[in-house]
Amino acid sequence: MEDFLYFFTFQDPSITWVVLGITLLGIGSAYVGTFSFLDKKALLGDAISHAVLPGICVGFVLAGEKDPRYIVTGAFLSGALATFLSSWLKQHTKLSEDSIIASILSIFFGIGIVALTALQKSGNPEIAGLNSFIFGNAIGIAEADLFLYGGLSLAILIVLTLFLKEFRLMVFDPGFGNAIGFPMKGIRFIFNVLLILAVVIGIQAIGVVLMAALLITPGAAARFWTDRLQPLLLLAAFFSILSGILGTYVSFVVPQMPTGPWVVVFLSLIALISFIFSPKSGIIKRFIARRSYLNKTHRDHLMKALFKAKEVNKGRMTLKEIYGLYPFHKKEIAHSLQLLTRQGLVIQDSQGVQLSSQGTSDAMRIVRLHRLWEVYLNEFMNIAPDHVHESAEQMEHLLTPELEALLEQRLNYPTLDPHQETIPRESHDI
Amino acid sequence: MTFDNNAFLIILTGALIAISCGFLGVFLLLRKMSMTGDAISHAVLPGIVIGFFVSGSQRSLEVIIGAGLLGILSTLMIDALRKRAKVQLDASIGITFTLLFAIGIILINLFAYKVDLDQECVLYGEIAYLPIDLWITPSGINLGPRVTWLAGLNFFLVTGFIYLLFKELSLTSFDEHFSSAIGIPAKGVNLALMSMVSYTTVSSFESVGAILVVALLVVPPATGYLWTKSLIPLLRLTSALGILIAILGYYLAYWIDSSIAGMMVAVAGALFFGSALVKGKWTMGIRGTSKSSPAFDS
Amino acid sequence: MITQVSQPVLEVHDLTVSYDQHPVLWNVDLSLPAGQLIGILGPNGAGKSTLIKSIMGLIQPTSGYIKIFDKPLAEVRSRISYVPQRESVDWNFPASVLDVVVMGTYGKLGLFRRPGKKEVQIAQDALDQVGMMAFSKRQISELSGGQQQRVFIARALAQQADLYLMDEPFAGVDMATETAIFQLLQDMARAGKTVLVVHHDIHSAMNFFEWCIMLNLHLVASGPKDQVMTEELLRKTYGGKLNLLTQVTDLIRKQDFNPLKS
Repeated sequence: MEDFLYFFTFQDPSITWVVLGITLLGIGSAYVGTFSFLDKKALLGDAISHAVLPGICVGFVLAGEKDPRYIVTGAFLSGALATFLSSWLKQHTKLSEDSIIASILSIFFGIGIVALTALQKSGNPEIAGLNSFIFGNAIGIAEADLFLYGGLSLAILIVLTLFLKEFRLMVFDPGFGNAIGFPMKGIRFIFNVLLILAVVIGIQAIGVVLMAALLITPGAAARFWTDRLQPLLLLAAFFSILSGILGTYVSFVVPQMPTGPWVVVFLSLIALISFIFSPKSGIIKRFIARRSYLNKTHRDHLMKALFKAKEVNKGRMTLKEIYGLYPFHKKEIAHSLQLLTRQGLVIQDSQGVQLSSQGTSDAMRIVRLHRLWEVYLNEFMNIAPDHVHESAEQMEHLLTPELEALLEQRLNYPTLDPHQETIPRESHDI
Repeated sequence: MTFDNNAFLIILTGALIAISCGFLGVFLLLRKMSMTGDAISHAVLPGIVIGFFVSGSQRSLEVIIGAGLLGILSTLMIDALRKRAKVQLDASIGITFTLLFAIGIILINLFAYKVDLDQECVLYGEIAYLPIDLWITPSGINLGPRVTWLAGLNFFLVTGFIYLLFKELSLTSFDEHFSSAIGIPAKGVNLALMSMVSYTTVSSFESVGAILVVALLVVPPATGYLWTKSLIPLLRLTSALGILIAILGYYLAYWIDSSIAGMMVAVAGALFFGSALVKGKWTMGIRGTSKSSPAFDS
Repeated sequence: MITQVSQPVLEVHDLTVSYDQHPVLWNVDLSLPAGQLIGILGPNGAGKSTLIKSIMGLIQPTSGYIKIFDKPLAEVRSRISYVPQRESVDWNFPASVLDVVVMGTYGKLGLFRRPGKKEVQIAQDALDQVGMMAFSKRQISELSGGQQQRVFIARALAQQADLYLMDEPFAGVDMATETAIFQLLQDMARAGKTVLVVHHDIHSAMNFFEWCIMLNLHLVASGPKDQVMTEELLRKTYGGKLNLLTQVTDLIRKQDFNPLKS
């Protein structure tokens, strides 16, 4: 608990810096990554994050130390080369996109590892810091570096905001963009530059292998909540920041733990929660909707049974008879009857159950819909009378009053259904 | 031990692994699942750690089983994300492998007292380094044959798998609907392929490290695809490339004194880009794989 | 105008199929006679492909069932041949024409066994039937649309089945190829095979099919060509979707789940 308070009240300035760093890195990657995700080129970011490794090593060699300017430039050039080669291969060979990305990724990364291990052997003490590029070390971000990375992050955010509508065009309809005179090629180029930059600074916190998560998962999670671009970007950034802070917290509380993996775990958790609970694609929502629909159909069936009893001049049904209709469902029946009584559709007394006048009207409607639908299936869709019942059993719960009116009109107010049963209407309806 | 004996063993092991990975990689390429193959090689990490934890050794059957299970799990997760959550394919792959790899890293840290896996090792196979380096020097040659035997077993199993299921693999790669229609279980074949990829990946980690395994899964088949249009020649060319990569990789590494695995990647890359330069169409506007060929009078 | 037959080769019973949470085929009831060339007609989105895929077990129906040779699909797969739509595969796959046609024999071979001389002979005979013998070594990426279609049909022939289901085999095919293939299909029907073809063109349908199925989200008609290809029925099929049915489908689509699924 103490740790928690200590961390979250930012009493330790280094924590503040780290959180700030994570926040900036997280926003940049979430924004750029979400565009990549929408563009269905999510794994290109993965390839770039692996491909910057050789550049990092070269930058280090040239600088003789871990100078961020050299390293960032080296990484950037390496990433740019990889991006260029990817599009060249796509345009000039018949290789599919996934094999191009996978090849570039593994070749560049392999060469990078070779360079890295060669450097490690050389015994330069500065090397230790380079390892953080592979697995990320948010806590190790030096204050001085923060200004550079923070600055770059801010630059990414500004450019993205300025060019929001251009990037939107690039993702959704580049053909249209070309047609109205936008320089789509240049816009794609700028976007790639931003992507590479976001990767270069993001791998500080999370490392090369897991960088893809920082790009893809926030956008994928946010997508479950909204369809609109701006809220999507903001939500993705929020998820990214939240995961970053939580991941850093875990790293702080358990000293041996690296930050990167925990950030990914929290991001994935958020994605899972989004998938289950979001209203847009929500599993929960669907589950609840289905349950309440099934309950309603059950109540409807009860009312129909009572109505049909009335049709053969049996005023009411005893509970025993009702239970007999649906054996093994005593509990559901009791529950449904309770609800129906509360809704005023049904009256229960010592002699049994009967429909109230409102209940009679509602039940009549259900039966009418059932029989009208049967007529429709039979006459308009050529379906045999013995095959129309099941469909009608389901449609009777769904059809709206507007559709009912349309049905009546189309069928010309029929009096009998295909089974020669009367279609019941209130006397004032016709 | 003479120099040539070591060289032969190393090149042999490298070639066996290259061919095993290449054969599987050809089918990954044809199914447009190269990135899935890459993802699986990352996703097996938790399986390796758990297997290590359970058995106490990184060279145990439990590790291989753990990896195989994780391979299947990641395939199922990617599928579930696509079908149930309706997430697009590339994002499903990215989310799955990063999560599983992250869990693997966390497990390594949690079990550090029992699991002696340096996180760097797993990635670029320092596990792999020692045997390879030791092959060069006279001492420690007793390690060599064991890894070679492992590579040989892997090669035998992969070749057997491809031979037995050749028509199922090629049909499901070409026309999934038709294969389902005639009763060949496309899903089952896919899972079997992914399991073999997981097993080969882990079995080869020890010898050549994760980086080289992925490269060997993806790059030689892609290179071969640039040269040939038929399936059997593609398989043959991929294995020839694998042998070439092993030989050149070894000698160049020896010459420059760098890591053999790394050199093999470099050679693979050079062959790939060289082939692309030679075989690539230098006119603009040639698209990648298209669904239908240009129409002309039949 | 729905004609049912006793002892049908294919029986579709009260079939409702949903796609993406809403129904695309409503309560289809039909039975088909053996040894005929049968066309499935209807506008885009009418459910023709869906019907074929349901028969082949590629889509699970929401309700109803299908019987082929009076048995469920799983028991008679080896007697049924399927030609999917041409764009469903990547024709850049490294395979020769012969390779693809030999795939038709895989169903009967079973797991693990390799195709041998017998299978190659079957494939070559099939290629001969479609007039593609000269192309057997050619890479499929080098074929024209009409040639690709012929290769797919040859593959179906190599299955040596009794019932053939073809999904738009004439899409993007030139007139000469279309006529040649139709004649081949008629020969097959005369030899006692049943051939079911999803087709898009009414005129050639009139000329070549013996029995027609007309779909428009529901079964409009099924029967001998002359009785079914009437102006009234054609209007019902092609004259736009049933307004009411469309509205009901929209209503279902707006629900969070498919209420027709039990």
